[in-house]
Amino acid sequence: MNAPAHEGKAVEFMLDGLQVEGRAGETVLSVARRHGIPIPTLCHHEAVSPSGACRLCVVEVFWGKRSKIVTSCIYTPYENDRVETNNDRVRSVRRFVLELLAARCPSAHQIRELALEYGVDAPRYETDDNGKSETIRDPLRERCILCGLCVRVCDEVVGQHAIAFAGRGMERRVTSPFAEQAEECIGCAACVFICPTGALHFEDVDGRRVMKELHTTVLLVACRDCGLPYATEKQIEKVKSRLKLSDEAAALCPSCRVRAFGGRVEQILAKDRKATFPWEQGASFTLTSPEAAFRR
Amino acid sequence: MKTGTIETPRQLAAVRSSARKALLNGHPRIFVGTATCGLATGAQKVLDALHEEAGKASSMRISISETGCNGACFLEPLVDVVLPGQARITYGHVQPEDASGLIEAACAGTVYKKRIIGRIDKEEFLVEGTSKSYRRGKLTGDVKEVPRYAALPFFRDQVHLAMRNCGIIDPTSLDEYIAKGGYAAAAKALTEMTPDQVVDEITRSGLRGRGGGGFPTGRKWATCRKAPGEPKYVICNADEGDPGAYMDRSVIEGDPHSVIEGMIIGSYAVGAHTGYIYVRQEYPLAVKRLRFALKQAEEAGFLGENILGSGHSFTVRINRGAGAFVCGESTALMASLEGRVGEPRAKYIHTVEHGLWNKPSCLNNVETWNNVPVVIARGADWYASIGTQGSKGTKVFSLVGKANRVGLVEVPMGITLRQVVEDIGGGVPEGESLKAVQTGGPSGGCIPAELFDTPVDYESLTALGSMMGSGGMIVMDSRTCMVDVARYFLSFLKEESCGKCVPCREGTSRMLQILTRICEGKGRPGDVELLHDLAQGMTDGSLCALGGSAANPVLSTLKYFAEEYRAHIEERKCPAKVCRALITYSINPEVCTGCMLCLRACPVKAITGERKKPHIIDKLACTKCGLCADTCRSNAIEVA
Repeated sequence: MNAPAHEGKAVEFMLDGLQVEGRAGETVLSVARRHGIPIPTLCHHEAVSPSGACRLCVVEVFWGKRSKIVTSCIYTPYENDRVETNNDRVRSVRRFVLELLAARCPSAHQIRELALEYGVDAPRYETDDNGKSETIRDPLRERCILCGLCVRVCDEVVGQHAIAFAGRGMERRVTSPFAEQAEECIGCAACVFICPTGALHFEDVDGRRVMKELHTTVLLVACRDCGLPYATEKQIEKVKSRLKLSDEAAALCPSCRVRAFGGRVEQILAKDRKATFPWEQGASFTLTSPEAAFRR
Repeated sequence: MKTGTIETPRQLAAVRSSARKALLNGHPRIFVGTATCGLATGAQKVLDALHEEAGKASSMRISISETGCNGACFLEPLVDVVLPGQARITYGHVQPEDASGLIEAACAGTVYKKRIIGRIDKEEFLVEGTSKSYRRGKLTGDVKEVPRYAALPFFRDQVHLAMRNCGIIDPTSLDEYIAKGGYAAAAKALTEMTPDQVVDEITRSGLRGRGGGGFPTGRKWATCRKAPGEPKYVICNADEGDPGAYMDRSVIEGDPHSVIEGMIIGSYAVGAHTGYIYVRQEYPLAVKRLRFALKQAEEAGFLGENILGSGHSFTVRINRGAGAFVCGESTALMASLEGRVGEPRAKYIHTVEHGLWNKPSCLNNVETWNNVPVVIARGADWYASIGTQGSKGTKVFSLVGKANRVGLVEVPMGITLRQVVEDIGGGVPEGESLKAVQTGGPSGGCIPAELFDTPVDYESLTALGSMMGSGGMIVMDSRTCMVDVARYFLSFLKEESCGKCVPCREGTSRMLQILTRICEGKGRPGDVELLHDLAQGMTDGSLCALGGSAANPVLSTLKYFAEEYRAHIEERKCPAKVCRALITYSINPEVCTGCMLCLRACPVKAITGERKKPHIIDKLACTKCGLCADTCRSNAIEVA
């Protein structure tokens, strides 16, 4: 067998009858997306490391007469692999996964819609075991599919590792340490934004950001100019220390900041900081308002 | 005698020959089997009583030591007495009150007349292929009358390679291990062979992983040896978690040095200098024995720098598992070793290339490591002469359940299930009939009695929808409900699923939900199809082997015992009369003598009646505990 892509070599392989090239270290999912071949995913996100937990991205790989179901978000192809992304066997595994998830999370419409695409009208399993009764139903449990994106984004992107999985098997859940206020949580809500089923929420009330499902409340800071709360205290501290933001700039909300300093990044950074970013070697960057950033 | 540092193979040979003399000559030696199985049946009290009696009878020197389990757990507590110049006599079911008699007989050089099991005539040196008779001159009449141990039905078909020293030597004595030929294979490998030759020898022997997967050990070692990256690691998987299986525990408790020696040889072959033993915390005695053996091996120079003058260095550390079944899976085990949560990862990139701390790692099971010295010492050809075409050597099984003789049995591959269950295990109690045997633990399946002529090897068991697994073998008779068995295994797997991937986490839970309702008489039409769908999805879709094989107990029972499922679902009947919701207890008035025993035994007072008149069970109050049936002396309680 020739060297696989994970050994740092480009490989040629067949993807749904198409002769394609996988770059060094590239997964089947990535190659497929480059070629416009749709593969559904739930626990995958470009910003974080792959997990292989949801099993929705499965594809079938053939070597001669043998074949195997693999997760395309992790599997790096070997030379001359033959990969099929949407055959009957693959679709039946996806249908199986979605039927289970639809039974687990009856309130998650994202799952219900995806399941419908794979022919699951109503799960054949009893769904009443999610909570003992209406009164003690856990909203997180009703929507969370345990994909772990929130855990990974907090750890790998935000760098806080404030939340994690606790428990094993069906007891597994996303939570803060000991289900109490997470000291490490900066209230950035990256976990809320990345959640594919809307299981996590935050609410800004009375100068505080409340992350109900994660048992955590963080103080909000009001913009010095406009007076609107724009970020949490810990979030500002974190951004300040990471970007070496000047105190002046940090005290303003993004919109007021652009108004006060203009569009030049250099102007909001602390004066005594060392040049560390690539743009400081000549490239120029422009600040944008958050609304514009979201649109992009 | 204390062994000093052993720096060369020559020194090892000298220690061996002096230690061997002590084995065969001198004073009577008494061994008490104090593996966990022995301790559970009271071996500690027997040991204490023997020490006390020996102290009283100070006329003669008698050594009393502990030993592991020879496999005959059904005879525990076991005591062996070596009568110098005659034989080694094994006694079973020994009680503390037998101590004085045993000591007296040992001093007199004769046999204690009670509790006799059998006689061993020779001290076997398996790794050398030699043996030495205890006998000097004629046997006394009493000794001669003791039946030969090797001819007993339980032992007749067994071949002890992995268990070569279990129940024979004192596991805390390095001298005894060396006397039996221990560390000779390590000396041979490290000083007379190149690493490639060692790998080649293991490959040619046909040894396959004994932990369940059955991957060819030689091929694993060769890949690990070639894999780029330093340092490399060797790991011993002693996280034995299958319900009813305890081969690894027994091997460690009875012969810890054999595992360490195997790891030394493996580390030399793959080029590793650090080894880890991942052992369950629930095996306190095994952990203790391993710790002690590691210390001995370090002091003797078998671990550390420049082992036996070969230039190879190797150290071993013990890590204790915290009780997760999934940590027996190699990638989860390695994650746990690294201090992370014990969850598996996809194995598209093998652990032999990127394992512990992303370095090449060679992980083998306890029994595999323990077999390595035998292969090296006796040679690949000799080892490969045992077993079948595809499965070489022997396999230790823990034969448990409804068999008459339960314990650890080590048999050559290719022996039939019937031989194991009926000849060695003695079948099931009279009046019951053999129904099935469950092999391979929770990932395995149930094989019906009609197929008992199947040879025990990796491929044959897999073809039947079961697997070799790590070696659990649970015998079931007519009193076992197969739906209930499937439900039990799924409840185990549901508890032990780590919860990372959807098919295993949700699938085992749904399967259990369905099986539970079938057992409760609430099965629905279509449940069998649903189970099949779940099984297919879990097998195809799961991340690791736990979920991938979790459906086996269900699939195999569906395949071979479909009628039982049908009876549960359609007729609301449990043919084996196990599932409580589907059975009723009643008293046959013709047979009942009115003795009032059941009436008194019933914990919920559901039985009423007068003396010498037939009693009646109130079916609404009855909790179906079965105590009345157990107490009734005239078999008047009927279950339907």
